Amino acid sequence: MGIAIPGDVSRKEVGMRSTLPAIVIRNLSHGFGEGESHRQVLLDVNLTIWPGEVVFLMGPSGCGKTTLLTLVGALRALQQGEITVLGRSLIGGRESEQVLTRRQVGFIFQAHNLHRSLTALENVRMGLEAQGGALPPDADARCRAMLDTVGLADHMHKRQEHLSGGQRQRVAIARALVSRPPLVLADEPTAALDSTTGYEIIALMRQLAKERGLSILIVTHDSRILDLADRVIRMEDGRIFSDEIRRSVANTPEQ
Amino acid sequence: MARLLQALFGRTPLGWLQLAHHPLRFSMAITGVAFAVLMVFMQLGFMNMLFDTTVMFHRQLKADIVLVDPAARSLIDLRTFPRRRFIQAMGVEGIADGETMHIGQLTWIKPGTEGHGKGERGIITAFGIRTDHETFVTPGVSAEQGILSITGTALFDTGSRGDFRAFIEAIQAGQRPQTEVAGKTVTFEGVFRIGASFGSEGSIIVSDQTFLALSPKASPGLPNLGVLRVKTGADPTEVAHRVRAAVAGADVKVLTLEEFITESRNFLVKESPIAYIFTFGVIMGLVVGIVIVIQILSTDVQDHMPEYATFKALGFTNRSLLGIVYEQAAILTIAGFVPGLLVSLGLYELVRTGVSMPITMPPDRVLMVFAMTATMCVLAGTIAMRRLSRADPAEVF
Repeated sequence: MGIAIPGDVSRKEVGMRSTLPAIVIRNLSHGFGEGESHRQVLLDVNLTIWPGEVVFLMGPSGCGKTTLLTLVGALRALQQGEITVLGRSLIGGRESEQVLTRRQVGFIFQAHNLHRSLTALENVRMGLEAQGGALPPDADARCRAMLDTVGLADHMHKRQEHLSGGQRQRVAIARALVSRPPLVLADEPTAALDSTTGYEIIALMRQLAKERGLSILIVTHDSRILDLADRVIRMEDGRIFSDEIRRSVANTPEQ
Repeated sequence: MARLLQALFGRTPLGWLQLAHHPLRFSMAITGVAFAVLMVFMQLGFMNMLFDTTVMFHRQLKADIVLVDPAARSLIDLRTFPRRRFIQAMGVEGIADGETMHIGQLTWIKPGTEGHGKGERGIITAFGIRTDHETFVTPGVSAEQGILSITGTALFDTGSRGDFRAFIEAIQAGQRPQTEVAGKTVTFEGVFRIGASFGSEGSIIVSDQTFLALSPKASPGLPNLGVLRVKTGADPTEVAHRVRAAVAGADVKVLTLEEFITESRNFLVKESPIAYIFTFGVIMGLVVGIVIVIQILSTDVQDHMPEYATFKALGFTNRSLLGIVYEQAAILTIAGFVPGLLVSLGLYELVRTGVSMPITMPPDRVLMVFAMTATMCVLAGTIAMRRLSRADPAEVF
């Protein structure tokens, strides 16, 4: 515990038994703008995240956390360096390949971004419909079960205006997890929530991660939830400043 | 509705749910599309009514070949040609019989208005025919035309524009009502039906002798129309060729009946500005519809940009999101077309009963306007979705 090491952590160090890392980042640099307005946001980032890890990415505003998250989520094209997500390289990825990567990832946004015209159940269905192709025959049952898991069995047919902030974020979690993705990326999921609700939400995410063996990378400023992390990575000025393993994944009590 | 669409599409009907979530905007969009549909139906209805009424008289002629002045443009502007050309044509092999007609626009006092001072004057089309020949296929004419040999008698068109119910009932009751035509008293002995047109409020049939009496400028040697019938088994087109050769000259034109009908329509379609005006009306209707639908769909896309960007981040492709906009376009097509069609049918009925014009709604027009409406909505959707493809999933974070 409390060991400060660079982001490139080995399987042995985190106690993982799986052979393939969930995320591998090598020499990643990224900037915005051109000429005099160019601003380098990420500088030579190296990072490996293993299946089952709950990793918090922390740091001051503008340090590159969210940009890193969008690059890992195949929402932006790479400029320099390499990212491999769930065994799929994102180098020179075409739009269609980026979409395939996104379908393997569950996204949770700061503002939850639920669709205003849809009920909680319909919003969760979107997580399955985004996978493309025909819906599984048990699609509705899965969505209902997912909402039940996040404690919203009695709120399935409500639209977002009739849900509290915490309930909306739970719907967003259900939407992100209903397709059973092996990787979840979350950006400040507790920012709009009070401390109790925020803690409950992350605890729920952690519980689901452990039950399903998925990796979670959470960008957060919220130090109150630090005890829920397996690993805490701190960034500053576009670089990984520290990588602290707080709990060996192999020894976590939930497993 | 959402469940029905979900079962139909096999996915959440996002387009419908988004439209239904903003009822005011949705009803405005439906109204806009319905208005465009109404405009298109009315313009097409009037245009086809114009074309149909233009050749309404032609279709009542018992003729295979006609002779007209080469400069003849329409029924009310047939001009005249020398009767000797008709006599020449009658001698051509294959011609069975025929006759000449005089056609003119005459002033008359509308029956039933005589009580108001001198009576209300109008213009009526008069057909001057040979009473011993069957010139028309119109029911009733051949049975009653014999009486027209008495000078000063006429048959009245029951399809004439105006309220002539009492007048018609009097004719049918054998009361022989009278009115003034071209300043002379005419007695009405019977009725027929051709109908009013844009250029004519109605018509009467008189003998050629009565016509010459009512229209002093007309001359027996200068008829307006020559009507020829071919012998049984003869080909009208071939006989018309022979007639052309026989009456070769610059003072008469020989046409089969079908050519006469086609030329009269074509004059309106190609050489008069009327067809352009109606076509412009149709285009304006479609443009108004496109602008309204673009505005509605663009606003909807703009309003839902964060949601669309979120969907892209979740794994939706641009193509699947475009399906939402096309779904909305399809909904607007159907939701706007049906009321537009119903209101148009109501207005057609008003035109039919109000101004005695034979406006009709053939099934092919319904299908054509539906296709135009669908094209309009899809085009508007395609323009609106250009904005949608710019939704950046990275901006969601």
